[in-house]
Amino acid sequence: MELDELKNIWKSNEPGYTLKGEEELAIMLKGNSRSIISKLKRSVWFELTLTVGVGIALLVYSLTLPSGAMKWTSIFLLMLVAYSFYYVKKLTLLNQFESTHENIRANLEKLIDNLTSYLKFYKRSYAILYPIYFFLGLFFIALERGTSEFIILLKQPRTIITLIGLAVFFFICSTWLTSWYLKKLYGNHLDKLNALLKDLKSDQSVVS
Amino acid sequence: MAIGEEKNFINLINEHQGLIHKVCIMYENDRDARNDLFQEIVLQLWKSFSSFRGEAKITTWMYRIALNTAISGFRKQTRHIKTEDLQEVHMNISDSWGDEQEENFQKLQWAIRQLSEIERAMIMMALEEVAYEDIAETIGITQNNVRVRMNRIREKIRKLMLP
Repeated sequence: MELDELKNIWKSNEPGYTLKGEEELAIMLKGNSRSIISKLKRSVWFELTLTVGVGIALLVYSLTLPSGAMKWTSIFLLMLVAYSFYYVKKLTLLNQFESTHENIRANLEKLIDNLTSYLKFYKRSYAILYPIYFFLGLFFIALERGTSEFIILLKQPRTIITLIGLAVFFFICSTWLTSWYLKKLYGNHLDKLNALLKDLKSDQSVVS
Repeated sequence: MAIGEEKNFINLINEHQGLIHKVCIMYENDRDARNDLFQEIVLQLWKSFSSFRGEAKITTWMYRIALNTAISGFRKQTRHIKTEDLQEVHMNISDSWGDEQEENFQKLQWAIRQLSEIERAMIMMALEEVAYEDIAETIGITQNNVRVRMNRIREKIRKLMLP
């Protein structure tokens, strides 16, 4: 069957669709994108706004504390800066995703690079955040019990073994959970993009 | 963006909306998903409209954005109809087709949907009389490669359309 025959068949019938009116098209332009990337961006913006709002409220509150104001203000400020950086970095990476004006191959290459970088950043940030939470937990216990008592407790072999055991357990669980979650969210899409690019590249090398 | 620019854009989409509808039909199975994809393509075109400087043909630019959105756009996964399901649908339709022209058209549409996403993009453009040069530019491969692939696609369709 020649291409011209296929063209004749194709032109003999128009696929069924209803044309959109100008008003409907104008409304579409006012709407939000329903792509997962746009949804992710909206969600990150919401989290960033919430973090900044809650962070500022906690800072104001900690400044009014009768004792330990400096200590708590520093902790909240540190957390606010760290989380703001985390969300801004996420937004920067997400903004690079939508580049549909390039050809399909270039767009696929860019998407794969961006998605891989995004996933790496996601994994690394959690790999860093979990130990921070762990040490912050220890720090709070030290504050509660008193530093000298806490150091005595830390010197006991049983405490050291328990802490190492807990740290390893939480690190393995959190790393596994993050990897599983990311694979579930983006893994299939990344596999699909890689397969499409592989298909395009393999044929190119055969022809040239 | 200015109101005049919006008006120009809407006129452009209005004039070429058949192209977007056809891409949606090629890549989505149900009506809701097609409407979502249509809106997504229009939004992506609108985002890029100000940067379009007429270096490429307007339809080439539209195909590029529409196909990129359909193929690699990270949208909600819709249930993909299995080949066996489609085969069943194909058989059922065959029984009730009266007109030969209509039957061939339905068979062709069904056969195209069996192809890979890249192949679908290529055959769709070829059927819409897009030049091989523009197909190569849209996909990002050489014209030689387009020719080789088109022969293979044609052969696949021929086999799929056999009674």
